[in-house]
Order: sequence, then structure tokens, then C-alpha cells
Amino acid sequence: MSRKEHPVWEEELMPYVDGQLDAAQASEIEKHLKECEECAAVIADARLLSKQMGTWVVENSPRGMDEHVLSEMEKKKGRRQQWAWWSRNRSWAFGLGGAFAAVALMVVLMPSHKDDLSNHFGDASRSVAGQINPAPLQRPAMPQDGNQQGQQGQQGQQGQQTLDSLLAKTLPAAQSQPTAEAPSGPMIIRNARLSILTKEFEAARARIQAIVQQTQGYLAQLTVRGETGSGKSLSATLRLPSSQLESGLVELRKLGKVLEESQGSSDVTSQYVDLQARLTNARNTEQRLLALQRERTDKLTDVVGVEREIARVREEIERMEAQRKDVFNKTQFATIQVELSEEYRAEIQPSAPSAGTQLHNALVDGYHGALNGLLALALFFLRYGPALLLWAIVLVPVALLLRRRHQGLRVG
Amino acid sequence: MKSDEQLMLEYQGGSPHAFEQLFERYRNPVYGFFRRRLNNASRAEELAQETFVVILRDTEQYKPTARFRTYMYAIALKQLWSERRKEIRDGKLAAAVLHEERPQGDPETGLWVRAALEQLDPDHREVLMLREYEQLSYDEIAEVLAVPVNTVRSRLSRARVELKSLLESQSARGVSR
Repeated sequence: MSRKEHPVWEEELMPYVDGQLDAAQASEIEKHLKECEECAAVIADARLLSKQMGTWVVENSPRGMDEHVLSEMEKKKGRRQQWAWWSRNRSWAFGLGGAFAAVALMVVLMPSHKDDLSNHFGDASRSVAGQINPAPLQRPAMPQDGNQQGQQGQQGQQGQQTLDSLLAKTLPAAQSQPTAEAPSGPMIIRNARLSILTKEFEAARARIQAIVQQTQGYLAQLTVRGETGSGKSLSATLRLPSSQLESGLVELRKLGKVLEESQGSSDVTSQYVDLQARLTNARNTEQRLLALQRERTDKLTDVVGVEREIARVREEIERMEAQRKDVFNKTQFATIQVELSEEYRAEIQPSAPSAGTQLHNALVDGYHGALNGLLALALFFLRYGPALLLWAIVLVPVALLLRRRHQGLRVG
Repeated sequence: MKSDEQLMLEYQGGSPHAFEQLFERYRNPVYGFFRRRLNNASRAEELAQETFVVILRDTEQYKPTARFRTYMYAIALKQLWSERRKEIRDGKLAAAVLHEERPQGDPETGLWVRAALEQLDPDHREVLMLREYEQLSYDEIAEVLAVPVNTVRSRLSRARVELKSLLESQSARGVSR
């Protein structure tokens, strides 16, 4: 049957049955169906088939699906909240982060801008580290650094959100109550900088070391420089117990004329408390996850997921613990940066060497020159002698042969 | 009622309620998709879960240029093919077919349809099932299976002819018994 005789192929009827044609095409088919019983039967068959297929009904999805999918959604929600916070506050976060970094750099690095790693006192630092007493702290109230507090507060909030979402998805009934141990007073990181001019450099240097010993502090770094045409200079970073800062400064001022002195401090109480709270929460979470791991024996994907969460929480705990210790140590020991300069006194240069000394020097130089020449000659023969000998063995007989032949020709 | 695409965009924008609506809307169809194609009900449930989990995990990858249903069934099909490869590897597919219960009774029941569908060419069967059970349009089927629309049309037509013939022969056997 040709297209002319039968304008609609069976294949073209299927889109009509399935409602996939536009109105114009559908009306064309309908028109054809009125005239063509064969095509009308195909349509009827297709509709009947569709009806028969519809008899295969499957049960509704089990309710167990909800738990898994919705818990995944909670997990995702936790992550998205963090990300949404970041997206919304990115500019603020950058700004605050930058401000925090600038303050931290000023506090920690500025006093040691002349640091020279050639003379570190790492051993001293290690030996004194053991003397840090984690007893409750008693510190005088100091001005607070608002930027730092704000930044740390937000970081803490983010960390808390992460852990809460983790708990919500693993143990919905679990409660995370922060039980941080608050410090008894404000936690202050103190630092000072002294620039001193002294006439007795060596004595002053010895005195600095004595002050460090007396106050039970340690020398974090010490560099001494001395160049011709100028006096010696010393750059040292002292770490003294915070309670000994004032007495240490009094003693240091006695070393000479104080050219410059500055003191600073930053309040890290909120940062410390926040870290403590996050740490406690993370530990609680870890315990619950471990309990969950022991109790649940269902799907492998769930077990793997729990293990992954445990690893992540453990890593977070270790990182926060390191941060907490670092903050604590910084509050225990104040940093004093000392720049000590010697008052320079110019000296008369010594006269030129005598004629006898110069002659002696010239003779010694000549002797060394001759010796070096002989040595160079010996080295040349040793290095190239064997090669020259080899070439002589090959070339001399050839040369002699050529000479004899030349002489023979002349005689002939 | 909001469209699937609107809900998905709302979820991308941070509304968990939007995804809950999508899940409620498609939990049964997606479960049915796997249940009709696998002999194992619990595995069908797991794969349906996994499909939603993949959608959740890769939410950011969804672009509103694609219809949500197409996107969702494309993920479901990938899961299904992966499962079938696994079954073939483990030799479970053959066992499942061998132990499958044979349809009995009235040809109008679903068991007859199921048995007849099993005998269709797999490519034809998939197109027919996507059309009849998942109610996808020809364009959507073409997109999900990555074949031209004309191929969908011809496969669908052949699948219907084959299925009709199989059902008739089954019916004739049933009557003769």
C-alpha cells in the first residue's frame, strides 16, 4: 500500500494515541480514522493494550524510604546552611578575616621583623613549655578587641551548626548541650617592645639572659649583629610569664637609654570559651557516633557514613584542641621584643705593614706560585701523557715510513 | 500547584519544604519504576532511595533547562543499568528469571502483562514502559535514553505490536488449558 493510497503509517498513529501531536495533526488523523477502519482498529488495539498494561499495579513505596531520604536532606540542609551563611556574609567574612589577620600579624610578627633564624632557642622553648601551669587564671582586665571577638564568635556559630546538623542526622533524639569550662577571668595575650641604646653591650646581653632566668621565662629568639664601622646590635624575643611582664620590663629598662617602648594586648576570652564549647560538643558528638556505630548493624552505606563522620569529628577535635592549647600558651607567656644597640665609638685604623713584612709576604707568594706551576705541569702530564704516548706510537712509525719512501723516490 | 522545576529551584534556593513536596510527588512513581523492573522489592526500595539521595547530593547540578522528571528518570535509569550490570556480573539475573513465578489465571491481570513484557526486546520494552508507566513524552524518552525521537516512535510502535501478539498468544494458551 502506497502513501498516496494510505496517507498514514501505523507508526504515525502512535503519537496520536499518546497525545503527542498538535491540534492540526490530530484533527488530520481523526479525519483519516473516520474513513479507514484498519487504522481505527490499530488505535483501538493500542488503547486496549494501554489499559491492559495499566492492570500491572505495584504497591506504594514503603515508609522506610522517608527516613533515609529525609535524613540525607537534613545532612544537606546543614551543609547548605553553612554555605548560605558564607554566601550571605562573604564580604563581611573577608573583611573581618582580613582585620583579624592584620591584628594578629601586628601582634605576633611586628616585634620580630628583624628576626634571623640563625640563632633560635628552640630547646629553651621546649624545656620551659613543661612549666606551663593550667591552673585557673587570674588576669587583670584589659581592653577588648571587638573585631577578634566578632570573628571568633561567628566561627564558633558555624562550628556549632555543623555539629548540630551532624547530631540531628545521626541521633535525632540526642541533645548537644555545650558544657565548656569558662576561664575564671579574662584571657589576655600581652606583648611589649623595647628599643634600648647601651654603652656596655656585652654586659647588657648577659643581663638579658639573667632577667629571663630570674623570671622563669625563656628566650624564643636571639640574634646579634656586628659590622665594621658600626656598633653591635641585638634582637631578642623573650617569653616571660605574664605575671612577670612588669618586673621584666623594669629590669630591661635599666640596660640603657630607652629609645622606644610600646605595649599591647588582645582579649581572647571569647575565642577560648568558644573553642572550649565547640570542643566539648565535638567530643559529645564523637561519643554518640561511637555508640551509634556499635549499636547499628544495618546497611553498609550507613555504617560507612557513620565511620566517615567519626573520622571527620575526630579531626575537628584535634584541630580545635591544638588551637585551644595555642591560645592558652599565648596567654600564659607574654612576648617582649628587645632591640638593643651599642653606642658606637670609632677607632683609629692600624698602620700599613712594614717593608720587611711585605718582602716576606712577596717571597712566600713567589714560593707558592712556583709550587703551583710545577704542580700544574705534573697534573698536565699525568692527565694527557698516556694519550700523547698512544698517538706517538701510532703516528711516529707512519711518519718514518713516509720519510723513507720520500727519500727512496728522490734516490730513484 | 507549583511545577517540579519551580520546586527544584526553590530547593536550590534553600527551601527544604520544596524538596519534601517533590519527594512526596515522586516517591511512588520512582519506587514503581524500580519495582516493575526488578524482581527484588527491597532492592527496588534501596535504589529509589538512592535516586533521591543522588538528586539531593547533586542539587547544584540541576539546570532549569531540563525538565525535572527527565532529570530524575535519567538518574533512575543509570541506577537501574548499574544494578543490571552488577546482577549480570554476579549471575543473579539468570537465577531470578529462572525462579520467577509464571502468570496464572485471567489474562487481564498484571501478571500476564508482566510476563509478556519480559519477553520483549529490552530496548523496545524500556521505551514502552517509560511511556506507559512513567508517562514520559516522546521527547522526554528520547532525552532520557539519548536516542532520536523517531527512534522512540518506531520502537514504541514495534513494542506495542509485539506485546499485543504476546498477550494474544498467552491468552490463547490460557484458554486452551
